[in-house]
Amino acid sequence: MKVAYFSPMPPEQSGIADYSALLLPALRERIDVTVVRRGRKSAPRGTDVALYHVGNNPDAHAWIVDGLRKRPGVVVLHDFVLHHLVAGMTVGRRDGHGYLDLMEREHGVVGRLLAHGVLDKRIPPLWESRPADFPLPTFVLEHATALIVHSQYVRDHARETGFAGPITVVPHPAWPSPDIAPERVAEGTVVGCFGVVNASKRIPELLRATAAVRKEHPELTLLLVGSTSPGFDLDRRLQRLGLDDAGLVREGWVDETRLWALMAGSDVLVNLRHPTMGETSGSVIRGLSLGKPLVVSDVGWFSELPDDVALKVAADDDEVATLTAALELLAARPDVREAMGSSAAGLAGREHDVERVADLYVAALETAIGGAAVDDAVLRDVSAAAADVGISAETAEAREIARRLAEVELG
Amino acid sequence: MRIAVCRPQVPFAYGGAEIFTDRLAVELRARGHEADVVSVPYKWYPGARVLTQAFLWRMLDLEEADGQRVDLVVATKFPSYLVRHPEKRVWLVHQFRQAYELDGTSLGQFGDSPEDRATRRKVQAIDRVALGEASRLFAISQNVANRLEASTGLTAEVLPHPPQALDYRCENYGDFVLSVNRLDRAKRIDLLIEAAARDGSLEIVIAGEGPDRQRLEQLATDHGLNGRVRFAGRVPDEELADLYARCLAVYYAPVDEDYGMVPLEAFLSEKPVLTTTDAGGPLEVVSDGSTGLVVTPDAGEIARALGWLNEHRDEAASFGRAGKAIAREVTWDRAIARLLA
Repeated sequence: MKVAYFSPMPPEQSGIADYSALLLPALRERIDVTVVRRGRKSAPRGTDVALYHVGNNPDAHAWIVDGLRKRPGVVVLHDFVLHHLVAGMTVGRRDGHGYLDLMEREHGVVGRLLAHGVLDKRIPPLWESRPADFPLPTFVLEHATALIVHSQYVRDHARETGFAGPITVVPHPAWPSPDIAPERVAEGTVVGCFGVVNASKRIPELLRATAAVRKEHPELTLLLVGSTSPGFDLDRRLQRLGLDDAGLVREGWVDETRLWALMAGSDVLVNLRHPTMGETSGSVIRGLSLGKPLVVSDVGWFSELPDDVALKVAADDDEVATLTAALELLAARPDVREAMGSSAAGLAGREHDVERVADLYVAALETAIGGAAVDDAVLRDVSAAAADVGISAETAEAREIARRLAEVELG
Repeated sequence: MRIAVCRPQVPFAYGGAEIFTDRLAVELRARGHEADVVSVPYKWYPGARVLTQAFLWRMLDLEEADGQRVDLVVATKFPSYLVRHPEKRVWLVHQFRQAYELDGTSLGQFGDSPEDRATRRKVQAIDRVALGEASRLFAISQNVANRLEASTGLTAEVLPHPPQALDYRCENYGDFVLSVNRLDRAKRIDLLIEAAARDGSLEIVIAGEGPDRQRLEQLATDHGLNGRVRFAGRVPDEELADLYARCLAVYYAPVDEDYGMVPLEAFLSEKPVLTTTDAGGPLEVVSDGSTGLVVTPDAGEIARALGWLNEHRDEAASFGRAGKAIAREVTWDRAIARLLA
């Protein structure tokens, strides 16, 4: 099987580039993969199937979606919410009408009116203010012959949009835990939070919970690693909560080696977000590899993590209280941290093993290439047999046959 | 309880799975249950026919029979476990192995065409759905359970079952080595014939029928073994028990067998078993130097091992007795108690 592989690749700074760098060696042991050079929109000659990695960032993925629109193929949908990508490929290319049409197609006249408001700068860009309300996935899904997704959440949402092709849930592969010395930033319990610092990552709630936990557990330190989003006033929030140097260690962007060292030196990893764009988290996957107990938001892919690996916090009115209770539990109970960490490492080695992930990719690709013909053959066989005994289409019997076929993923 | 034991049936073929399911129904009835075997003809070729044949099971309604509730179904091997029932227990004999570990080998079925590749994946997909529905999932051996977990991620409890009921006994350790098996390539009876060609003292009795018989007979003829290799065909139960009772040892070396009843039958007759390092399920009961001999799948190695047993009859008897202690632990009482718990 010859596969044309469209993806951002290192040294591009992208989680999906890192993902592909991890996956490709295992995939190449199984199938013939050609990585398509960035900017090329055509698959090489002799390609059996094209595989397109699609995320929400237009800088990284617009050229890939251009390729997809030229030649349909299997889409690895890393995000379900694609509004930012769509905006980049329409508004960003001076194609306002394209944006209006897409908004109208997926959200009716109201969508078109809102899009006009955005183009006329009467309202803030929806891809920044309300992307989850207007995810715009159809722009990509309509050209996909099959989907590979990382969660049931995205699979279910893709089905809700009417996507009828094969969808395979393939876990995000886990990086092997590197042989690196842990970097401890403080005595006592260190709670690490890695990623962009802003409101949608629930940093305000995390700061309030940390301040509350430190009243009973002053030995707990929050390690906050990542660049701060423009407009997010972290210093003022810290000052107001009285989180001084003793309670917080702040690091900006760090390179991969330091990232692993700081993660390895943390006792607990927190990874929150709301709303979700349907994404997974490379930080959480690294945390699993390191065998760290996790605290995550109860949303999307994060909700699907096993309960013995992650404590889950709903983004509701009790969010800070729930988060406080989770951090208190993990601060007070090293045995719980150890048990959760052990389960996390087990999950990484089992579910997220890169060899297993590569096997699942091959299965998905083989199904994408030949599955429709097989489904047709089965349907021909079954419908001919039904017709022979007088069962015609649109009868209750025919509907039951269709239901049973669907139950076992045939036809 | 009213229990339906489900098995696919390849017309005109009768082997281990049929013996197992027939016996299971008998044993269930003996314990006061109303049990019956439900079978559907099965053909796995050409092309996607394996899927439509499997789908037949999905259309069955086994929740009731003649107005009375069927309390439980026991599905056994692919594709019988596609059957729908709220209390579906699967006692897995094997999956459709051509879609798994036999793929790409000479025993495989699917080629490189996109349709063949996708058909194989569809078999795997329906396995995940149908086996995932089971209220309890058992496998007849650790080997089968391991394969299941590797292919679907599903975990099965290992539940071995006893072999067919025969008048098992040991009369002596005679001058012949017995093979009891269906005659097809995967059973590797050709290795035994090659071994006989290397050791002029070995006499062989081959019980069983199958598509490989003509090739095996020709092989024996080519080696000039007609006086020392006897093809007994499919033998009646009494004759089989008699062969077990009088043989020196039993040869059983299929490729990665699911479980294999033959070692337990040999053990109940106090006979050692010669198997190979890649035989799969038999290795769960045949231990080298304890209940038999385990060698690499090579005719020379097999000849040497059988020669050793011929010259060390006390050890052969000791291995057989040790095997009997293992085989006696596998009872229908225990198996059915766990199956229905």
